[in-house]
Amino acid sequence: MAAGFKTAEPLEYHRSFLKENCRPDGRELFDFRTTTLNIGSISTADGSALVKMGNTTIICGIKAELANPTVEAPDKGYIVPNVDLPPLCSSRFRPGPPGEQAQAASQFIADVIESSEVIKTEDLCIERGKLCWVLYCDMMCLDYDGNILDACIIALLAALKNTQLPEITINQETCTPEVNLEKRHGLHIHKHPVGASFCVFDHSILIVDPTAEEEVLSTAQLTVVTDEEDRLCSVHKPGGTSLSGEKLQECISRATVRQREIQKLIDKVILSVKTMH
Amino acid sequence: MKDTPLSNCERDFLLKAIEEKKRLDGRQTYDYRKIKITFGTDYGCCFVDLGKTRVMAQVSSELVAPKENRPNEGIMFFNTELSPLASPAFEQGRQSELSVKLNRQLERCLRNSKCIDTESLCVVSGEKVWQIRVDVHMLNNDGNLMDAATIAAITALCHFRRPDVSIQGEEVTVYSVEERDPIPLSIYHMPISVSFSFFQQGTYLLVDPSEREERVMDGLLMIAMNKHREICYIQSSGGIMLLKEQVMRCSKIASVKVSEITELITQALLNDKNARKAGGRGGFAESMPQERITALKMDETPVETTDVTERANDIVKKTEAPPQTVPSPVVPAPGVGQVGLGLQNTWGIEEDDDDEEEGMGEEDSGEEAGGKVAKMEVDQHKKEQQRGDVVEISDSEEEEVVILHPETPVPKNQKGSSSHQKGAATSKKKQKK
Amino acid sequence: MMEVCGSSNVTLREFGCEQSLLSRPDGSASFVQGDTSVMAGVYGPAEVKVSKEIYDRATLEVLIQPKVGLPSVRERSQEQCVRETCEAALQLSLHPRSSLTLILQLLHDDGSLLSCYLNAACMALMDAGLPMNCLFCGVTCAINKEGEIITDPTAAQEKESRALMTFAIDSTERRVMMSSTKGSFSVHEMQRCIAVSQKASEKIFQFYRDSVRRRYSKTL
Repeated sequence: MAAGFKTAEPLEYHRSFLKENCRPDGRELFDFRTTTLNIGSISTADGSALVKMGNTTIICGIKAELANPTVEAPDKGYIVPNVDLPPLCSSRFRPGPPGEQAQAASQFIADVIESSEVIKTEDLCIERGKLCWVLYCDMMCLDYDGNILDACIIALLAALKNTQLPEITINQETCTPEVNLEKRHGLHIHKHPVGASFCVFDHSILIVDPTAEEEVLSTAQLTVVTDEEDRLCSVHKPGGTSLSGEKLQECISRATVRQREIQKLIDKVILSVKTMH
Repeated sequence: MKDTPLSNCERDFLLKAIEEKKRLDGRQTYDYRKIKITFGTDYGCCFVDLGKTRVMAQVSSELVAPKENRPNEGIMFFNTELSPLASPAFEQGRQSELSVKLNRQLERCLRNSKCIDTESLCVVSGEKVWQIRVDVHMLNNDGNLMDAATIAAITALCHFRRPDVSIQGEEVTVYSVEERDPIPLSIYHMPISVSFSFFQQGTYLLVDPSEREERVMDGLLMIAMNKHREICYIQSSGGIMLLKEQVMRCSKIASVKVSEITELITQALLNDKNARKAGGRGGFAESMPQERITALKMDETPVETTDVTERANDIVKKTEAPPQTVPSPVVPAPGVGQVGLGLQNTWGIEEDDDDEEEGMGEEDSGEEAGGKVAKMEVDQHKKEQQRGDVVEISDSEEEEVVILHPETPVPKNQKGSSSHQKGAATSKKKQKK
Repeated sequence: MMEVCGSSNVTLREFGCEQSLLSRPDGSASFVQGDTSVMAGVYGPAEVKVSKEIYDRATLEVLIQPKVGLPSVRERSQEQCVRETCEAALQLSLHPRSSLTLILQLLHDDGSLLSCYLNAACMALMDAGLPMNCLFCGVTCAINKEGEIITDPTAAQEKESRALMTFAIDSTERRVMMSSTKGSFSVHEMQRCIAVSQKASEKIFQFYRDSVRRRYSKTL
């Protein structure tokens, strides 16, 4: 009966919960799902992390490659993020070239990396104008249940913190780079951007960390990314119903709390691996 | 989206009118529509209005490696974009037959006629040459896209300036517009195409067909010619047989039209050059027709910002400051961490339970002592005691039932079966371990 | 880092608009802000592809055409912003199982491009006579190194700035429909930019009203 009600009138079904200030899965409006983080999940990658937020699962692998810097920026390396939404993660995605959502997510992640300066691209330069690192950050969704942007940012940040680059020395005689795989060092992470996504229901009710179902029924979505200094790296609202400045402020407050939670989580997980060795 | 089809009576009407030497827009047989050439703010950006047909061309340049068989020559690249703006029948990102045809014609007309000196585009032989890219965007299709496209492309090429370069040893320096004046391309001649459409197996001929006329025509003859009356390219399509006299007559008409159009282009280029020299503002803002009632312009306007700061402060102050302390995450195993005690995921529940138990143990031992943790502990014990009758808060099915029918017996059965399955899963897992 | 203080740079460049300038689309407009210029065309409501059909409302497609080359990931992300803003403004449920196509052609980019896209889109939708809940306009704010707010920045000013925000403001309650930001900034700075955008939006809506009034002045 309830399942029938849910299928026939999904919006009404959700409304009846929201009226009581809770959600069908038992959360309150401003509660996130349980977030689980595992780092070093892919042993063959230079850095990796797996994030689960409820059912949403994102795995991020980082591959570092040597390349020539561009002529315009000879002292900078580059970071190439890519978000993949394969048919595996949800029936809504089709095989073939990346759809609009995947492309928009990739662009969003690239913007967050640039805006937050999580890594200074100057740090990736090995020799000016000659050699630099390229970090390919591939985020793949394994299970889609809404709010992939938050999960992607956590996975990316944790994977970057997990990344160990081999030492490179340039042989002066032959001018060829020599890779020392034994000696590795971590990346310098300047900022810790963490996102919090919101959905607007019925033009007024704000909920945090939406599931796939809630995303479909919502009238607007919003993602706020903040760093540890409480500065905003991105306020991304791709449209939908309008929100007042006051409402946005509420979201930002929630996002800053979330940032602290997640930064603590990442730090602790990284530490747990370090103490193990 | 499909194009609206032409009705039979409309077709008959058009053909009848053509037989009577009449055209829908009141033109004579050999009349060209009004051509308007405007330039954008950038160098190499040109708009051509041919009646209602509107085309934009943009030229850009890039340093690339030359082709292996031609190490001393620059590369010309043409791209025709049938933007869906021009007609509902055009689709984005798909190479249609028409766009391939137009692109090919443009290439033959402007590249194969050798009107541009490609050797002057060479920077370092065999290593670096300029690639000149011409993007032609169709903005509104009201027939005869080809003629509009060639006019736009050649005018844009004449208007374009490439950055200056210097070579010192092996180093190639590209100068910005501020450092050194950019250099125009060297163009030998300007091929301009003129299209003729034929009706009733070549009995009737019209110059510059409109979109409606193109739909009822039998065949098309396109002649590209420069002002020296040299034919650069000629093509007949549509499968009509033309007599020698007809082609000769067409080429005579073409030579007249070409000299007119060339004159117009030179004049437009000259006007733009003078305007730029005088330092006047060019571009779209200026080309907008002010007299039309559909257009409006507004001057630079200041924005009142007196109470902006107060408003912003108000909003920030009104919201509660977020708490500084946050709950500590749980680390059940090295390399794994968890935060938030809300909804668990619905896959691999049993495993997570195990993890949580471990986690709880750790948390108890020193993390965040408090009533909440103790309570969770108790819950955990309860859970362990009632293994056979697991109460899962996160299982959505049961939750629905609980809310709407608190006393239905159905869920018990479900519970039983699901717990059996779960039990089996756990045992399997344990065996694995 | 300095905080935002009051400044004299808070002006909108001269802007202009022409409606119904193309004969083929059902609605068209070109919008000019300083040297930045965009042309927009709308087709529909029309027949929809079965794969894209939505049973209770019209399918809106937004295509952004760059000047050189094919649309890239950046254009896709801008398309998403414009589309979702238009979806919220349009009354799509009045035309179920039909398609609306909005094409935006970039003519010249000299900063504040996304806001120009939004303004051109709104003018084209108005010209097409599609039923809407509200109008919307785009305002771009940049915060420069000195911490001053610059509205409607040029490309050079955008390059110099340390943060860039584009908001879409609706005409009924002046609230934020869309927000897209670049660079990092404080909460105060953002709230101030929103407040400035709301003020600026009044000027743009007045311009919308004036141009529509002028356009229909002779048909009465």
